[in-house]
Amino acid sequence: MEDILAKINSVAVQKFGAEYSETRAQKLYKTMLTLKEGRVEAAKQGIENGVAVRVLVKGAWGFASVGSIDANVLMTAVSSACKMAKNASSRLKTPIKLAETKIVEDRVQMKPKKKPSTILMEDKINTALEINKAVLGYDKRVKGCTIDYLDLTGTSYFSSSEGILIEQDKLYVWSRITSTAASKGVFTFSREEIGSTAGYEVFDTAPEAIGEKVAKRAIKQLGAKSPKGGRSQVVLGPNVVGVFVHEAFGHLAEADLALAGGILQNNFGKKIGSDLVTFYDDGTVDGAFGSFKYDDEGVPTQKTLLIKDGVVTGLMHNRETAQKFNAEPTGNARAENFRVEPIIRMRNTYMAPRDHSLEELTEGISSGYYFKSFRGGQANLDGTFQVGIQEGYEIVNGEIGAPVRNASISGSTLETLFKVDAVGKDFELWPGRCGKGQTAFICDGGPHIRVKEVIVGGSA
Amino acid sequence: MVAVLEEDQMLSLAENAVKEALKKGAAEAEAYVYEGQATNVGIERGQITKTNTIIDRGLGVRVIVDKAVGFAYTNIIEGQKAIEDTITGALSAARASKPDQDWNGLPEKRPYVTAEKTYDPRILEFRSEGLVDIASSMLDAAVSVNKRVFPIEGGAGAAYLASSIANSNGVIGFDRGTIMECSLAAVAKEGNMVTPVCFEFNAGRACDVNPVWVGKEAVRLAVSALKTKRIKTITTNLILTQFALQELLHFTLMNAVKADNVQRNQSPLQGKLDEKIASENITIYDDGLMASGLRTWAFDGEGTPHQKTTLIEKGILRNFLYDNYAAKKEEKESTGNASRAGYLSTPSIEATNCHIMPGNKTSDQLMNEVDDGLIIYYLQGAHSSNPVSGEFSVVATPAWKIRNGKIAHATRGVMLAGNIFEVLKNVSAIADNERQIGPLVAPWILVENVRVIGK
Repeated sequence: MEDILAKINSVAVQKFGAEYSETRAQKLYKTMLTLKEGRVEAAKQGIENGVAVRVLVKGAWGFASVGSIDANVLMTAVSSACKMAKNASSRLKTPIKLAETKIVEDRVQMKPKKKPSTILMEDKINTALEINKAVLGYDKRVKGCTIDYLDLTGTSYFSSSEGILIEQDKLYVWSRITSTAASKGVFTFSREEIGSTAGYEVFDTAPEAIGEKVAKRAIKQLGAKSPKGGRSQVVLGPNVVGVFVHEAFGHLAEADLALAGGILQNNFGKKIGSDLVTFYDDGTVDGAFGSFKYDDEGVPTQKTLLIKDGVVTGLMHNRETAQKFNAEPTGNARAENFRVEPIIRMRNTYMAPRDHSLEELTEGISSGYYFKSFRGGQANLDGTFQVGIQEGYEIVNGEIGAPVRNASISGSTLETLFKVDAVGKDFELWPGRCGKGQTAFICDGGPHIRVKEVIVGGSA
Repeated sequence: MVAVLEEDQMLSLAENAVKEALKKGAAEAEAYVYEGQATNVGIERGQITKTNTIIDRGLGVRVIVDKAVGFAYTNIIEGQKAIEDTITGALSAARASKPDQDWNGLPEKRPYVTAEKTYDPRILEFRSEGLVDIASSMLDAAVSVNKRVFPIEGGAGAAYLASSIANSNGVIGFDRGTIMECSLAAVAKEGNMVTPVCFEFNAGRACDVNPVWVGKEAVRLAVSALKTKRIKTITTNLILTQFALQELLHFTLMNAVKADNVQRNQSPLQGKLDEKIASENITIYDDGLMASGLRTWAFDGEGTPHQKTTLIEKGILRNFLYDNYAAKKEEKESTGNASRAGYLSTPSIEATNCHIMPGNKTSDQLMNEVDDGLIIYYLQGAHSSNPVSGEFSVVATPAWKIRNGKIAHATRGVMLAGNIFEVLKNVSAIADNERQIGPLVAPWILVENVRVIGK
């Protein structure tokens, strides 16, 4: 495999005049399940093999992806990638250049305790059925339970015209459990995700526990009321803090979005949050869903400090943006698979803990909300963030009280980070999937925090 | 860069896979063959920087053994071994799985209607040079309008898509289509102020897009999103444009009309057929055969012919969307709404072209009906709506204040909270300016009494 890839790169450079060429090959195997109320809709497996060729010709990118490792097909692919790049370069004002990176040759092997490929499909189905049983058995008002399962294993190869050569094992295990409940015309929904790059051992935790957790949340919301819309003081749990960090700051710290006019473009080295705000994007957390050794440009991953004590200290880079900022590439270039080009993505993004207990965070709040678990979130370049909440409670006179339903929080990043006025000492990291045209497996998290003011979207 | 597979190649691949699966012990079998070839030219930060071409082909095989369903796919379709391994994979998955007592067989053969205006052979010959020209004229149009605007990303693309299907009930079909599109996302900047991302696009099935319009429109939106003022928390009138409407409906109403959700007690529309669930202004069809529709094909992901299904007629709920499985559970016919992610997935229920019928007011007349309200282009966070109840809590960005039928100023950080079924009941007028955004074909609509959270 390595030989073919290296040959493609040398053809790009020598025959077609590319300044740079990289090839990525993947051999991937997937196992998937969908269960609805314990009915196995389908047991699924798949094979995806393919190669992506990316070249830089006269400062413009050309990219070709083919589902084949046949040498003749790859020769056609590299030829079209180079020709197309040349066409694109015709109107280029600022040619693309790449920052330097270490030339490495490496073979990265994963050593899971439980390889997903050695677990029988029957056993994977049985685990899902146990979770399903715990969800549906929790309460008769639970009406639905959908369980999706995926494991992905295989190998990816990276080769560049500069001499980088990496062979890396791929391993992801993921599951999403959703539950619906209905009573007296009220419909509720709850979701939980499991995700790991360690191995199938992530399912060693009791299936009943996760099933009950999902079901309980759906049931609790049946009696919940809509929150009052408007500005409010809030305490956010680690699961919501993770998404807040991801949406309110993380995307803006992706160097491509910063260059696109995002609000961090002119705030590097400036204080944009309270002294309590320290965020990392970290590809090195053992077994975490967003961890890997090398990114899809062959750059080693790292733990990147993004904001320290409220001051912006770093951005997430690929080789192209690193060159523009005169910075080091941070190993954030990720491609979902061989069909697409690597773009700047987060890994495991989190807030560093400080020293408060949850009680200390809530005790001073006469009226506010405690948001414990998120349903979704979205960022905008102008710094407007939104995080939808699937589990939340009122805080009345310092005590966590009655549940609220279908809340979301929003605000402007540059205002809100200054309003973080107390940070907890606990820490949790949660797996998730992030969409930016492509899907990336990530984690986000942090401690509990208190925010003086956000806008709560509620219909009451 | 590589010749597309011919119709007979794709058909025989599917038919042979079905035969082989039956031979190897499947009680029923279905094979779906997909090919996509796409070329794109990309704009980043104000200039054309990249091009890509993708060829994606594959085979997905669904087999049934003792009422248990197994599925396997591969993207290697050259050579008999890869095909046989896929069939073996599907069979072993089915054998490892559990029987489904409600399984009632794969779809039966039904006649197809040819989908109109979905294929333009000129797109197959279209090269990246042509796309570079399209992207350039879009950029030129954008930059000539206003210097405060920064085109952040976008591009132009042309794609050929084809699929063939065969099953053991004699279903057999081939369809192909083309899509061409161009899009531009821009922000405007003034001092330290940056607007939210403003996006426009133009897409169709023919080799014909309007990049100049896209460029100018993205810029017009971005410029008008500058100079925002905050508004108060209030219950008010909204004009929802197609982008906002698509976001909102996709994560709420469109879940509620899927028959499997209704059967599984997770749709508030359960038991409401022939009841009034929306304002009488509202008539919605799911029309998988709409001429030149972006989701128009001859058949769905399991070979059932596409059709036009009335979902809501003058506010009254008339139908749900079915695939073969959900339909057979109720002894009905599938409405042709089984959707597939190419060869990579088994079918699941999705809308085709969801058509909200236009009214007879122009967009200006609709604006004129609003003394005090907002017009909303995009929503942020619609995917975090409650997919079961239809409740949403989202940010409207950008959105503009309307006063006496005219846009007064842009707003910032406005949130909307409510329930889609209340919104549908409060639609008071509909414009005639329909266009397609993803699956939705719709005009602007005017909604009364929506809770808007401001400063």
